[in-house]
Amino acid sequence: MSTADHAHHHELPWYRKYVFSTDHKVIAKQFMLSSLFFLFVGGAFALFIRWQLAYPGTPIPVIGSILPATWVTEPGSGIITPEFYAQLLTMHGSIMIFFVIIPFAVGMFGNFCIPLMIGTDDMALPRLNMWSFWLVPPAGLIMMAGFFTETGYAAAGWTSYPPLSAMTGLPTFTISGQTLWLISVFLVGFSSIMGAVNYVTTVLNKRAKGMKLFDMPLTVWALFITAIIVTLGTPVLAAGLAMLFMDNFLHTSFFLPDNLVTSSKYFGGGQPVLFQHVFWFYSHPAVYIMILPLMGVVSDVMATFSRKPIYGYKAMVFAIAGIAFLGFIVWGHHMFQSGMNPLLGTTFMLSTIVIAVPSSIKVFNWLGTLWRGNIKFTAAMLNALAFVSMFIIGGLSGVFMASAPVDIYIHDTYFIVAHIHYVLFGGSLFGIFAGIYYWYPKMFGKMLNESWGRKHFYWSFVTFNLTFFPMHILGVGGHMRRIYDPNVYDFLKGLGGVNEFVTISAIALGFSQLVLVFNVLWSLKFGKKAPRNPWRANTLEWAAPAHPGHGNFDTDITVYRGPYEYSVDGRELDYWPQWEEGKSISIHHHTVAVPESNDTRTFGAH
Amino acid sequence: MGDILHVLDMLAWFPENISTFGAELDSLFAIIYWVSVAIFFLTFGILGYFLVKYRYSPDRKGYNYHGNNIVEITWTILPTFLFAAIGLYSDDIWERTKYSKRVPTADVEILVLGKQFGWLFLYPGADGSFGRNAYNDRTARSLMSAMNPFGMDSTDPAGADDFVTENQFRVPVNSNVVVRGSSIDVLHSFFLPHARVKQDVVPGTWMNIWFNLFKTGKYELACAELCGGGHYAMRAEYQVMSKAGYDAWLDTKNAEVKAARSPQPAPAAPADTAAVASLR
Repeated sequence: MSTADHAHHHELPWYRKYVFSTDHKVIAKQFMLSSLFFLFVGGAFALFIRWQLAYPGTPIPVIGSILPATWVTEPGSGIITPEFYAQLLTMHGSIMIFFVIIPFAVGMFGNFCIPLMIGTDDMALPRLNMWSFWLVPPAGLIMMAGFFTETGYAAAGWTSYPPLSAMTGLPTFTISGQTLWLISVFLVGFSSIMGAVNYVTTVLNKRAKGMKLFDMPLTVWALFITAIIVTLGTPVLAAGLAMLFMDNFLHTSFFLPDNLVTSSKYFGGGQPVLFQHVFWFYSHPAVYIMILPLMGVVSDVMATFSRKPIYGYKAMVFAIAGIAFLGFIVWGHHMFQSGMNPLLGTTFMLSTIVIAVPSSIKVFNWLGTLWRGNIKFTAAMLNALAFVSMFIIGGLSGVFMASAPVDIYIHDTYFIVAHIHYVLFGGSLFGIFAGIYYWYPKMFGKMLNESWGRKHFYWSFVTFNLTFFPMHILGVGGHMRRIYDPNVYDFLKGLGGVNEFVTISAIALGFSQLVLVFNVLWSLKFGKKAPRNPWRANTLEWAAPAHPGHGNFDTDITVYRGPYEYSVDGRELDYWPQWEEGKSISIHHHTVAVPESNDTRTFGAH
Repeated sequence: MGDILHVLDMLAWFPENISTFGAELDSLFAIIYWVSVAIFFLTFGILGYFLVKYRYSPDRKGYNYHGNNIVEITWTILPTFLFAAIGLYSDDIWERTKYSKRVPTADVEILVLGKQFGWLFLYPGADGSFGRNAYNDRTARSLMSAMNPFGMDSTDPAGADDFVTENQFRVPVNSNVVVRGSSIDVLHSFFLPHARVKQDVVPGTWMNIWFNLFKTGKYELACAELCGGGHYAMRAEYQVMSKAGYDAWLDTKNAEVKAARSPQPAPAAPADTAAVASLR
């Protein structure tokens, strides 16, 4: 796109610029804002849960007296009911997964990074892209509207297993929190599919001149492969949700067997475990939807701040693809104790354990990237390193439950809760932080405050580990997940101290996140103006102006080399942008620049 | 100091194991735990070393090196062997504990039903065998009701002495106990923490659960699958009794059942009334 073209853009009305915008960067910001909002909603729910577990039957401090009457044992008591507790854990999981991690990882980074990093003006299908965002806020409102139904929010867990989720005990055509939950997740799935179709199309069709698939940064590779997972997996979830919706709302009986002893008279002929198969066929790949994009982001951040090429770039791509493929044949490991034939347990155990292999390849390659680097500990880099280290712990705890016999005992205990949070908070969320710190300058044209960024990192990292590591201990002690009051059980009595410790840490962790919000808002107004390429990085987004407008680039982009040519021999600068002309040769895995008499341009550098 | 080490030694937090296969499961956990600890220190050691050694210095450059296939293949193959070994070893134990064909011959057979929110148990009574019920006869499933959750057929004389307990589960020590589990409403999970037993129970299907416990005492049974607001309170006591004690308890139960049923002409009793009697 040339500057002349750019001038031809007619001025759009404000609501087309900031609300119903088709600009991928605006859509990315919208995803970021809505995800940040829901992060705090989901986090608040988590703190309710933690309070109840540490101090069962004690009024919630400060806000206890003003909680809605349907949440508490009696008005003003501040003690939450078991029913509300089930709603809390359901909403916490659902919001964090469907409205925070997926929109952050896929919605925000997918939208922001793909067109910029492949050097194009926008997505292939900008209007579809706009819709993919604008399904999310209504979906969020629909899920939260469960509050106004007779039964309150959905309360069957984020997994919403029938019969619990299907049997409301209400008459046909009555909307319950669960019904709204199903509609909401269905819409979010739709949003994901629309986004994913767009990503695949854009990556395949709109790459800048000269950019081969293996010239793409790992962020784009990861998002591309994630988008393929979304297009293959999400429709299956949609089918499952549609069936469950019919059971729940229209009183069909896909998942309700004969001879139930219940007040409902609508059941018979169905199979509850079928839903679990359909659900996990999507939801296990969904775990990778939530982490693969961040693996890409972290790889880019690490290469930039180690001033080194990614160790084993192609191996990294194949590992991502390998994880994505294996992700589709392991869903049964969520169901070892579900009543699925134990024979299948063997199959799923072996396929699951194989996933540890590409995961370790990635970890070793990240370590290889750091090796002999020149590592700068920026806030982005610190968060990326946290991603790697927490992913190691989360990966290792995954081996425990991958082993079906070990899973017998730890299944549905806090060990699982610890594992999922190490992967999705320690992994995904720290990866998201890394990406925010890294791309904020390009997103808003301002630098984030580095010092507050580091403070946010250190506080989050410490309190994160203090919160979630002890959960392994709770799990080993046998603490079931989703229970309202552990004190009912004698064998859990010795774990009260651990529960209390976790809760105090969780409160500190929650409040640490305010630093991020403060930093994001403060820097927007008072941050230093960002240069075009503040991190002296190679990838194409840094060729765009400091705060790119609609259309992104002010020059024609041609790609001359891969994304990770840092510290090339024969060059004065320790980076070599993809868009900069110049010849090089490869000698024994080293890139060496071949000097050209009159080419000393350092375009885009500051 | 001792307390701190206790916190770090994760294996010390397991509740006492009382089942024959429990030790094997715990030791498998321990193996994976120590392998993980080793990998943890290895990777974190390397990570920490690199971060210190290669920290930023203005007069140094990074090293432009794109990787090496021999290294890649090495660190692909080594974990493959390690994890495959863990997988195959695990599978051996999995087969022995969970495969249906490996369920041992029952010394004692008990039926269990989960319901919102509690556990019901059906014992075969004095004759040691069940009458027709929802487990052993498909047609009897239509008899299942709140009053007769096990769908016991009162016309079957073999079932006349079967009795139901609620949240009271007693098993003899050192015997192969085979439990057939199901649910009458939503999913529940039959979790005996000390026996290292967990199995979801699914309405409409009967699961095979078995264990052999070597220590007498009172323990707890919990539900491990979210089943509604009262999920947390789905606690039942279970007691592992000496063989003599168990027989004595069975005798008293049998006597109770007999006493409860005697005023009624047994074969003519409607199904529901019989079940109410047996519920006591």
